[in-house]
Amino acid sequence: MVEENLKTDQKQGGFQLMLNKKITEPWTSIGTILGQPVIDSYTFYLKKYKAKKGDIVAAEAKLPTGEGKVIDVIVWGRITEIISSNDFLPNEATKELTEENINIQDTILPLTKNDSICMVTNLGYTKNQVGEKMLLLPINYPVAPGGTIKYPAKKDLASLLNSEMNSKNPILIGKLVAREDIDVFVSADNMVSRHVLVIGMTGSGKSVATRRLMRELMHKDYPILIIDPHGDYLGIVKQAKKLFPKHVIKLFYPKISAPSNNKEVIFALIEKLGKKLTDPQYDFLNWLLDNIPYESGQNLMDYINVLIDRANTAAANKRNKSSAGMNGIGNTGATTMGVVARSLRVVQSKLKKMEKDNKENMEKFPHLKFEELPDSYSQPENIISKSQVSILYLKGYESLPSSTIVSILLENLFNHRSAGNKTIPPFFTIVEEAQNFIPSRAEGQDGYPSVETIKKISTEGRKFGVGLMIVTQRPYKLDETVCSQMNSYIILRLKNERDQRFVKNTMENWDDEVARQLPNFANGQGIVSGQITNLPLTVKIKFDADLVNSDLGDEDFINDVQNWKDTEITKKKKSFYKNFDKIFKSDQRRPN
Amino acid sequence: MKQIINNNSSLFSNFIKNSIKAPSPKVQQNFMKVTSELVEVIKKILEAEKLIFDVSYEGKKYWENAKKHKFAFVDGGAYSSFLSSSAPFAIRANTYIVKPDELLERRELFRETVKFVGNLYDPEKNLYDLDEDPYEDNQLLTKKKDAARITFETAAVARHVYENEKFEYLLLHGPLQTPIMPFSGPEFPLFKKEVIKYILPFFKKKEINDKDRHFINVYLNSINYIKKAKFNIFGIVEKTGSTIYLRNLLYRAKQKRLIDDVIFDKTISLIKRYKINDATLFELILSDCQALKPLEVEKQIPSKAWGDWEEQMNNFPKVFIGYLRTNKNQSPIRIESLNNPKKLHQDYEYILATSKLLPNYGFPAGLDVIDKAARIHSWLGKAAKGYYQKYYLNLALNSKDPTTIISALKSISDGGRKFKNRPKAGRLSINAK
Repeated sequence: MVEENLKTDQKQGGFQLMLNKKITEPWTSIGTILGQPVIDSYTFYLKKYKAKKGDIVAAEAKLPTGEGKVIDVIVWGRITEIISSNDFLPNEATKELTEENINIQDTILPLTKNDSICMVTNLGYTKNQVGEKMLLLPINYPVAPGGTIKYPAKKDLASLLNSEMNSKNPILIGKLVAREDIDVFVSADNMVSRHVLVIGMTGSGKSVATRRLMRELMHKDYPILIIDPHGDYLGIVKQAKKLFPKHVIKLFYPKISAPSNNKEVIFALIEKLGKKLTDPQYDFLNWLLDNIPYESGQNLMDYINVLIDRANTAAANKRNKSSAGMNGIGNTGATTMGVVARSLRVVQSKLKKMEKDNKENMEKFPHLKFEELPDSYSQPENIISKSQVSILYLKGYESLPSSTIVSILLENLFNHRSAGNKTIPPFFTIVEEAQNFIPSRAEGQDGYPSVETIKKISTEGRKFGVGLMIVTQRPYKLDETVCSQMNSYIILRLKNERDQRFVKNTMENWDDEVARQLPNFANGQGIVSGQITNLPLTVKIKFDADLVNSDLGDEDFINDVQNWKDTEITKKKKSFYKNFDKIFKSDQRRPN
Repeated sequence: MKQIINNNSSLFSNFIKNSIKAPSPKVQQNFMKVTSELVEVIKKILEAEKLIFDVSYEGKKYWENAKKHKFAFVDGGAYSSFLSSSAPFAIRANTYIVKPDELLERRELFRETVKFVGNLYDPEKNLYDLDEDPYEDNQLLTKKKDAARITFETAAVARHVYENEKFEYLLLHGPLQTPIMPFSGPEFPLFKKEVIKYILPFFKKKEINDKDRHFINVYLNSINYIKKAKFNIFGIVEKTGSTIYLRNLLYRAKQKRLIDDVIFDKTISLIKRYKINDATLFELILSDCQALKPLEVEKQIPSKAWGDWEEQMNNFPKVFIGYLRTNKNQSPIRIESLNNPKKLHQDYEYILATSKLLPNYGFPAGLDVIDKAARIHSWLGKAAKGYYQKYYLNLALNSKDPTTIISALKSISDGGRKFKNRPKAGRLSINAK
């Protein structure tokens, strides 16, 4: 077929004719290939202002086939750098212009002799079929110097970018940064099954990206679970209710519970939140956990209450030299038991405080209805259901209890899916501030039960329809195994060098050139790469203004301060301080 | 004075040259002594004649006022590695025209004002280059190249005069008039007729005779045409080794009886022996932004002409030559014009302002620009050379004449003196059959 085309085209005067026959509109010639191209890259001389960094361009080329034939192809590449130079403007002239404050435009120095040389990284080649479905193949031969570079027409480029995806469900993510006339789609099928890592510093547009993809999944009635430590998703609830009236959007606050067969989770929580214990004290804590049954789904606070009572009783028995109910702890002293009871009270107090903080935070949104998170073991269908978005609001909870809550929740939901009992449909989980749930070894992941759970989902979730979207601003703090299982990436602006290094080490097909772009992205601009797309693309993510968090409002601290008025209590406190100050200044006596 | 001498760039290079030739501390000390004493007396003469003047420079202010004018800069470029019989093969003279306050798209024009690719000289007449002695051969070849370059640069200036351009200033890279004595030798080749018609469009003669095609006449015609220009034309020469100003200054002093004949002759002899030149001396005399008023000098010396060119030499106009120190580090640049500058201060102010744009090099920036634009790069020339060598050898082979073939082979492989072209023992080794 290709051979036939080649023959026909040669008759008609070459490659140019062949292209014109099939393309949707003429492609503009924008440059000529220079120097010594290699297989992966080349440079070309650019007509002034005819292309810009990030643009995808096409080179006419010939490639050898395995059968010893030569075929005409289109080699697609991305402009990674443009070097502009004016060989006629002497460097030393700029010194004089600066020193003497002379405007160059007033002088005889040349301004119009700028040359632009573009560096292009090749993406692959397509056979001579444009406008329809184009399969991008790896290049095995460099383009020839002197070849023409063309600026492909919108439709042909869109076709290249989106047609190879083989997705039944393409979803719109945004537009090409370099060409805003071209929409970019990602594969929803690959996204929900193969996991996505969303990385970007604060204000880079992570929420813009997640909201965009979330919205598209909602259109497909796909169940979504959002782990929201800061309440970033609360604001969209009201909007989404208007935009998706048939959807169920639930806001949950956590209930700290654990499965009965996994007391290690409770032990770890008590160990981390409580005081540091000695070996005999640990032994006694273990004894308590072994001897006091825990019912699955039981509120952990109630359970800790029971533990404290039992520890106090045991200590009292010890002091009274009673042996009732003291099997296995005969040698443990009353003081040891008292320390464990005190540690448990510390744990209890911390958990109560977190619960209280969480509640207070919820009260800031009186118009929103929060529900206690149902038991994910016995009532998973209340959390995951078709056309339902469940948001777990964790604000107020420290990272360890949050990790415990998320671990238990995801473990149960995953088990329901892997059991194959059709209790819940496939679902997609968005984990915000993921560094709190899957910290790396270096960050100290001991006692974070969510690490193992998310690791399991990242490796096995694909089989059972449990998809993950990991969202973080500090990628280098994430667990390496989980990251390596992420098949697709949305990388937004990153300035921290450690984060950039991490991204470079983790992702395939990543080069220094891409890394150099990261600090310069505007809000909402980023690289979409991996199995959700055909090629790594620099995309301006579509901003869903109607989903913006209107309830939370913008941060307007200056205005807040300008309108600030002390409460009556504060006013009184301040006046008291003045009195106390006077007293303390008058106090001449030495302390006893 | 010692301090000035120590900091002097061109004097230093002369000093080094002298040290190499006569490596004795005594000789070196003597050189320093003679130079510094000569500087003092020449400075006195210049001051007495009121030839030194200050040129004002306020970069920002100058360019704010000058931006409304149109300026031109001309330079030539030739590809120099040619077959001897076709030299020169590719030559051009380009102009950079700029009107700073014009809209960007019309602000600058890089023009290939005159260009030529092919046989410049008439092959039907004497080719003047297939000499048995390769040294001689190279000498002749160099002369032909120089004649071509000078002709094309002058022709480019003449073209602008012919087209009645409204330049405020046109600066040419190089002297505005060159001594033509070296080209007055017997049988210097003639330019082809088409070349004359192309480079001298103002030359209305219906029948161009052979004499009109000789370099000296072509050059004279061009120079005389340029002299009538309605805009200011200056030739700018950097790194000059000439003594023309010094000699004319002394001659003028002699005429005015400021010095006698004996002193004049002795000083001229001393200048020659000590290899002191204008650049060396005036770098010691002039400060930054100082200039020497132009002297009217005769560049052609008819008595030295070969053949019957003496009369033509007398027809060349006199040249006005001055010097301008454009920075603290470089020796002064030579400024040549065919007419006595009417607004000397203004003209030199412009040349200084353009030179200040290259604060280290101290040379008009526009000439630096056109120098780069006019240059024929070796990548371009080599391709042409390869093509032409093939063509030339093919012609020779078709002739089936062994001598022609050997001559062609020698010619395309760098002359007969190369080892690979050594004479073969016995008969000619190439069989024409």
